[in-house]
Amino acid sequence: MVDKLSHGIGGLTYDKTKRAWPNEANVFIALILIILAFEALGQILPYMNGQSMLFDFNTSRDGTIMNIARIKIIILQVAIIGIIALGVTQVIISGGIDLSSGPLVGATAMIVMSFAQTELVNGQLNPKAVFGAWSFDLPVIVPIMVGLVFGAFIGGINGFLIAFTRIPPFIATLGMFLICRGISQWWTKGQPVSFPTDAFAAIGSGMMPVVWFAMLAILLGLIMKFTVYGKHTYAIGSNEDAARMSGINVRRHKILVYMIASMFAAFAAIVLSSKNLTAQAGMGQFYELYAIAMAVIGGVSLKGGRGSMIGTVLGAMVFGVIQSGFTFIKLDAFYQLMAMGAIIIGAVVLDQYRQQRATAG
Amino acid sequence: MKKTLMAAGLASMLSTTAMAENIGVSMALFDDNFLTVLRNGIQEMADGMDGVDVQIEDAQNDVARQLDQINNFVASGVDAIIVNPVDTSATQAMTDAAAAAGVPLVFVNRQPVNVDTLPDNQAFVASNEIESGTLETFEICKMLRAQGLGGGAKAYVMMGELSNQAAVQRTKDVEDILGIDMCNFIEVIDQQTANWSREQANSLMTNWLSSGEEFHAVIANNDEMALGAIQAMKAAGIDMADVVVGGVDATQDALAAMQAGDLDVTVFQNAAGQGSGALNAAIALANGEDVEQKVYIPFELVTPANIADYLSAN
Repeated sequence: MVDKLSHGIGGLTYDKTKRAWPNEANVFIALILIILAFEALGQILPYMNGQSMLFDFNTSRDGTIMNIARIKIIILQVAIIGIIALGVTQVIISGGIDLSSGPLVGATAMIVMSFAQTELVNGQLNPKAVFGAWSFDLPVIVPIMVGLVFGAFIGGINGFLIAFTRIPPFIATLGMFLICRGISQWWTKGQPVSFPTDAFAAIGSGMMPVVWFAMLAILLGLIMKFTVYGKHTYAIGSNEDAARMSGINVRRHKILVYMIASMFAAFAAIVLSSKNLTAQAGMGQFYELYAIAMAVIGGVSLKGGRGSMIGTVLGAMVFGVIQSGFTFIKLDAFYQLMAMGAIIIGAVVLDQYRQQRATAG
Repeated sequence: MKKTLMAAGLASMLSTTAMAENIGVSMALFDDNFLTVLRNGIQEMADGMDGVDVQIEDAQNDVARQLDQINNFVASGVDAIIVNPVDTSATQAMTDAAAAAGVPLVFVNRQPVNVDTLPDNQAFVASNEIESGTLETFEICKMLRAQGLGGGAKAYVMMGELSNQAAVQRTKDVEDILGIDMCNFIEVIDQQTANWSREQANSLMTNWLSSGEEFHAVIANNDEMALGAIQAMKAAGIDMADVVVGGVDATQDALAAMQAGDLDVTVFQNAAGQGSGALNAAIALANGEDVEQKVYIPFELVTPANIADYLSAN
């Protein structure tokens, strides 16, 4: 009977002999192994001349023995999708899925950038102006709020459909996927929106995407671990009926979960359009899938009830290392997707195997 | 989806007068910047003409959907069809469908695989893709020479989507130009895809920069990627006067970057010209007139020297 009680904490029995270290440690070890593999390739491949991926012993470049520039880009290139992955992680923990985040990034970027435009470009009137003169040089808080409200609105609809019509989250968010891509194309009839104000451009400049990613990861990590919101999310993902019977307002909670996920995606869109100084209708393509993959590689279970923000951050890092590693060893572009797909599948297969061993008996 | 399209086709048929020319247009995808300018070129020209109605559909990069759209246009009795093919090797079925119904067909922007065997009432309007990458790379080669690097220079190449004909052709153009005697002093350090995207190009360039290798030029298959590379280089504190950067498309963003002294070369493809050229050909064919079966709208090189001519072009 003791075993049955433990379902409320994630469907897994706690057995000290089998769970000597947390899930995240495995992801971390995988990350180290992948880095070592690339370092080894740097030594072995004849055309690499024994270069190192993360170390740079020519200290004249940045004064350290680390290759700071590469370490920075490893994190920077996954920070924006990472922000989406944080929101998606709590959706998956609650037992759902969110496919709409990629197109939502495109739609939000288009809308936000329309409220963030500057009047003069190289001394001439902004050639990409969406609205009239009133929309130029608005305070930066305006586009940010417009974006977050739009995200909350879309997420609210997702959550409402899932909670009240009981259609599967896969279908509800797939529909929203198409609706959002439609919105992003309709907004300016496919035209890109460019030339933001300096204040807006500052949101995503330099390493700011990483700063946002880190801050939001810590914030959401703490919320999931220490607040009622987090505990209810795990509870619903582990056993929805049990959660309802123990008095959790499951419907209201689900709406909140999807709203927060979409607000994270909307914020990612703000950072993305700011970083690129442009918004394009096709932005965010495949982001939803990469975000889900980051969470899954980070040990978040698609069955719900299990996973953490630290895991997702590590999952994002795995992506960053692979991407930079491919460029580092100058892997031919035609092989990169195949290699990345194989690594994703391999990582999850290993995780499943480990899970089964941990729960067996 | 089919039913909706048919309903839409039916509605447009009922609502138009008997005298009007109905032209059905199937675009490969709506959310591509260049194709949007082309689409607007068709729309604006049609709006300015009496008795020409265009109905524009989005094939969403789906070959099967595009063929369905063409069949629906045929079923709803349009006078001519303009197709911007999703896949240039899947055009024979479209040619057959239109030819069987006797409806004139004009391919625009992307060269169909059966371009040399088109029936009399079909035509092709585009720019010759070989020109774009060639113009871009040759100009970069000349600029590097003018900087006194004729003894040896290094370059990175950014490719568009690997499955895309324009990306393949432009990359081949780069290789061809770097193979000629005048330009073989340029060595390509690495070439990778950034999928036409500014964000991906920014990451790719930053990754290249982290290797610390010296380079003199970045040759990108389009402007968006060139702009991403510029943003990455500026973030790393590189003086843009020291690097020659080239793209293709002459978008507004690219022209602004050129005015700021960041971008050195781009190539203008007359999208609106292709759109209006296609509509002209379609109307002529619908009226039973003879038209050239291959209409080429030339690419034009854009540098800081002649940028003023292009500021309001695309």
